[in-house]
Amino acid sequence: MRVTLKSWDPAPIAPEKWFLCLGSEGRGRGPCVGQDKHTHTHTHTHTHMQMSFRATWSLVLKKVGPGMRGMHSPGSAANSEGKMPPYTNYHAQRSYPMPDEPFCTELNAEQRALKEKEKGSWTQLSHAEKVALYRLQFHETFAEMNRRSNEWKTVMGCVFFFFGFTALLIWWQRVYVFPKKPITLTDEWKAQQLQRILDMKGNPVQGLASRWDYEKKEWKK
Amino acid sequence: MAYPFQLGLQDATSPIMEELLHFHDHALMIVFLISSLVLYIISLMLTTKLTHTSTMDAQEVETVWTILPAIILILIALPSLRILYMMDEINNPSLTVKTMGHQWYWSYEYTDYEDLNFDSYMIPTQELKPGELRLLEVDNRVVLPMEMTIRMLISSEDVLHSWAVPSLGLKTDAIPGRLNQTTLMAMRPGLYYGQCSEICGSNHSFMPIVLEMVPLSYFETWSALMV
Repeated sequence: MRVTLKSWDPAPIAPEKWFLCLGSEGRGRGPCVGQDKHTHTHTHTHTHMQMSFRATWSLVLKKVGPGMRGMHSPGSAANSEGKMPPYTNYHAQRSYPMPDEPFCTELNAEQRALKEKEKGSWTQLSHAEKVALYRLQFHETFAEMNRRSNEWKTVMGCVFFFFGFTALLIWWQRVYVFPKKPITLTDEWKAQQLQRILDMKGNPVQGLASRWDYEKKEWKK
Repeated sequence: MAYPFQLGLQDATSPIMEELLHFHDHALMIVFLISSLVLYIISLMLTTKLTHTSTMDAQEVETVWTILPAIILILIALPSLRILYMMDEINNPSLTVKTMGHQWYWSYEYTDYEDLNFDSYMIPTQELKPGELRLLEVDNRVVLPMEMTIRMLISSEDVLHSWAVPSLGLKTDAIPGRLNQTTLMAMRPGLYYGQCSEICGSNHSFMPIVLEMVPLSYFETWSALMV
């Protein structure tokens, strides 16, 4: 039978929603519901709506972001005993692709049967079974875990927003706060000042006066 | 004085400052080399998909990046020390001038032959003549003979100040109760500006120093007038 990627690939969580569903995926503990593509999607959406507020709030408290990867080292001894899943973030790590602990630990009867079958010859497994076993062991495929995101657009947008806001602040300051410019910044004064510096040959070696042609009374070409 | 869009140091007026200019070029070149190397390595690290999380030891590279910086530091230290000792050479100055820092002006004493004392206050912006430099001009400049070694003795009457003239490579702290000495030797006539370089209160930025280097005969005329 023809195998295509799309036949088993449940729709991954859209990257732009990652900051809303922190904590709702990646929690492999507990039953891994329905590897079948329809129920998987629906369940996922349902749980992520349910869990998004609690998950986000608890993560805000823990100050989690993409940068929290380093705090819990994946596959450490403490992790393997306790309740935390091996992937402590929703996002699997390219640099730590194969932790010792499987993604799903509580298996239903059907999944346990499949694990038994895995102990035999792998040539007996159908493609769908192999995929199911993969999904039990790992949360995401490499393609899924390495997907691009639209985070950069958010970042650039915020950067430009703050640029603009700062520009507004500075404009307000120029109008209402800054004092008058001193007389020495007028063009006339600057010209007289420059003439005086050239007359006294200030910095004649490599600096300003060295660039003035005293015979022709003009800047050197 | 400094000029617009100046990138480096002011042109040297004394031989020591020339040495310092060359040393600055040398040290800055080393700085640029190291910075560009580091920037390049950072860019490599940020643009690779490869990962390696199991480094145990790296003896060879650790040795290299210990020995190499030590060599670079020696290469910087040797010219630096050379100039440092050059500044302390015996040079038999022909003239001694004392300057005392006050809040917020300098006073100068030429007491070798006659008793010449005067204060040097900054000219306020409103009283500048057209073309003068704001915050740099003073009412009484320090007139000195050019191409002669001059001993400057620097101290303070109240708080810490620092007597600095960048184009001569001079900066010496003015410490109350202490007499600091530096040697001044200008190879060109002209006006050389400097500013107080140690925080000393509200008008710290408004007590500049202006040296007027003139031929010896002009200096003698001036000092006879001033006494």
